[in-house]
Amino acid sequence: MLQMQNINKIFRTELVETHALREFNLTVNAGEFVTVTGPSGSGKTTFLNIAGLLEEVSQGKYLLDGVDVVGLKDRELSRLRNEKIGFIFQSFNLIPDLNLFENIDVPLRYRGFSSKERKRRIEEALEKVGLAARLKHMPAQLSGGQQQRVAIARALAGEPKFLLADEPTGNLDSLMARQVMELLKDINKQGTTIVMVTHDPALARSGQRNIQIVDGQVSDFSLFNNQKQEFNSQTEQVNTKETEAV
Amino acid sequence: MFKYYLQLAWKSLIGTPVVTSLMLLAIALGIASSIGTLSIYHMMSMDPIPEKSQQLFALQLKSYDENQTNWGGYDDGFPAQITYQDAVNLRRGNIAKRQTAMLRITFAVQLEDSDFTPKLERSRAADREFFSMFNAEFEYGGTWDKSADEQGQKMAVIGERLNRELFGGGDNVGKQVSLNQKSFTIVGILKVWEPTPMFYDVNGSAFNDTEQIFVPFSLLPIYEYPSSGNNSSWKNEDIFTYQDKLQSETHWIQYWVELVDKPQKENYQDYLSAYIENQKQAGRFTRKDAAADLKNVTQWLSYNEVVSKDNSVLVGLSFLLLIVCLVNTIGLLLAKFLRRAPEIGVRRALGASQGQVFIQHLVEVGLLGLMGGTLGIILTQLALWLLRTNYSSYKLIANMDMVMLLTAPSIAILATVLAGIYPAWKICRTQPSIYLKCQ
Repeated sequence: MLQMQNINKIFRTELVETHALREFNLTVNAGEFVTVTGPSGSGKTTFLNIAGLLEEVSQGKYLLDGVDVVGLKDRELSRLRNEKIGFIFQSFNLIPDLNLFENIDVPLRYRGFSSKERKRRIEEALEKVGLAARLKHMPAQLSGGQQQRVAIARALAGEPKFLLADEPTGNLDSLMARQVMELLKDINKQGTTIVMVTHDPALARSGQRNIQIVDGQVSDFSLFNNQKQEFNSQTEQVNTKETEAV
Repeated sequence: MFKYYLQLAWKSLIGTPVVTSLMLLAIALGIASSIGTLSIYHMMSMDPIPEKSQQLFALQLKSYDENQTNWGGYDDGFPAQITYQDAVNLRRGNIAKRQTAMLRITFAVQLEDSDFTPKLERSRAADREFFSMFNAEFEYGGTWDKSADEQGQKMAVIGERLNRELFGGGDNVGKQVSLNQKSFTIVGILKVWEPTPMFYDVNGSAFNDTEQIFVPFSLLPIYEYPSSGNNSSWKNEDIFTYQDKLQSETHWIQYWVELVDKPQKENYQDYLSAYIENQKQAGRFTRKDAAADLKNVTQWLSYNEVVSKDNSVLVGLSFLLLIVCLVNTIGLLLAKFLRRAPEIGVRRALGASQGQVFIQHLVEVGLLGLMGGTLGIILTQLALWLLRTNYSSYKLIANMDMVMLLTAPSIAILATVLAGIYPAWKICRTQPSIYLKCQ
C-alpha cells in the first residue's frame, strides 16, 4: 500500500537547514494497522504529511498503492489524496461553519459524485459512527468524541484504501478514546490500511505493528517484537516442562 | 461545482457581516463614483442622431475681412454661425435634400385663458424642414406650409411639455397661442424630443432642454425677434435698427444642411464655392481664402468640444478612486482569506486542488463584486437623481442608459475579481500541513 525508499525531507531557511527525514524507509502492506511513535521533533508529522501527499519529498521514492507520487502535479496529488487517503486529526478539523452533513460532503464534492450518491454515502458514514440522527447539527453542538467520530465518518465516506490518523484520541478522555480506537479497529478489519501516529504506548500496542521514528529515521520493532514473542514462547515451554517434571 | 462554490461564497459572506459590509461599501463607493462619472460622460459623448449623424452638416463661412486672422474663436478660422444675408441667400438653393437656417429666440407665452400665468419660453425660429432633418416626430399635426417659410405666417409647432402646460395635453392643433403678444396658430405638437447633446445649437450649453416653440424663420424681418444666442461681428458697423442688423456682417444664424451621399455633398460644395465667388465679385467677401466648410454631427460636437477634456480627466480620477477602494478591498480580502487558512488546509487534505481553492475564492469575490456593483448602481442612481433634481443642466445627461446599466455590474465584477486574484492566489498557495496540526 505504502512504500517509502530513501526518503529525505529537508526544510531550508536562510540560516538553517533541517533534515526532518533522512534515508527514511518504510513499507506498509495493504490491510495493516501500523502505529507510529517517537519523541517530539523526531519527524512523525513530516512523515505523516508526506504519506498524506501534503508535502513533497526532497529526495527518494514514494509509491502509494503502486503509484509513484514523486513529481506529480498538484492536481494529480489532490485527486490521489481525495480517492485513496482518509485523514483523521487530533483536533478533528471539522469546518465550524458547516453542519455534519456538509462537513462529510466536502471530500465527496471534490470527487464529483452526484448529489444522490453523496447523500447515500454521508448517511451510511454517519450511520457507521452512530451519529445518523445528527445530520444537521453543527460541530460545536457535539462533544469531542462525537466530533472525532464525525471526522472518521468524513474520512470513511470516500471509501479510502488508506487511513492516516494523527493522534486521533489525543484530545479525548479515556472512555471516548477507547470507543474511537474500537471504531478504527473495526475499520481496519474491513480491509482499510491504517497508519496512526500516537504518543500513547498503550495505543501504540493496539496496532499490528509499531514503528518508532527517531531523528528522522525508522526504528522497526517488528524484529524485536518477533524475538520477544519467540523468547516468551520458549520461556513458556520451559516453564511447562519444569511443571511436568515436578 | 460552481453552485457549490456559490453556496460556500454566500455562507462566507454572511458569516463575516462586518468585513463583508466594509468591502461592499468600499466597492459600492468606488463603483458609484466611477460609474456615475462614466454615465454622465457616456451620455455627453453619445451620438445624438446616429442614423443621420454623417448626413447632417453644420455650414460655416470664412467671410470676414482679410485683415482679420482666425476670427471667430476656432483654430481653423471658421466662425460657428453665419450672417443673416448669407442664410437668406443660401436658403434659395435647392441642392441639399433638406436645409434650415435657424436662430434661438425667446417668447413670452400667453393664452386667452386668464388663469394661465404668462411665461418666458426658450424658442427657435427655423425652416419647415427642421423637424424632418433632425428626426423630431409629431404627436399631432405637422410642420407649417412652404408658404409660411416664404412669406412668414404666424404658425407654431410646440413641444410635448408646453402642450401639457398650456392645455393639459391632447390634440390642440388649430388652437391659438399668444407669442410676444401676437396670436399664432398651433400647426403641430411634437412627441418628446430630447437629442442629447443638443447638437444643432451648442452655443451656451449643449445639454439644455430642447426648445418648446418653433416658428418660421421668415418671421424674423417681420417681427424682429432678438437673438437669444450668440451675436458676434468682425466689422465695426452702426446698427441702429433691426434692419441694420439683418444687413450687417453679424454672425448670429445657424445653418444646417442634409446631404445624403458623397455626390450630393460635392454638388453642394460646388454650390458654396460658386456662392463665395459670387460674393467676392459683389465686393462683399474680400479675403482671398474665403471658404465654406461642412462639418457633420460627430465632427461638430468634437469641434465645439462639447465633451471637454476636463470630463475625461474627471472620469480618470473617478476610476482612480475605484482603484483606491479596490486596494482597500484587497487588504480586507487578504485578511479574511488568510484567517480561513486552517479551513483551506482541511479542504486541501480532503482533496481540493490549488486550482479548486483558487476558483472557490474567485467565485466569492465575484459574488462580492456583483453585490457591491448592485449597491454601487443604487448609489449611482441616487447621486444622478440628486444631480437631476438640483441642477437642470444635468436633467438629460445624469442618467444611466441600458449600456451603462449592463456595463456597471460587469465593471464591478471584473474589478473585484481582479482585486481578488492576489488574495485567492495567496490562499491557494498556503501549505495545508501547517494548519492541520494546530486548527
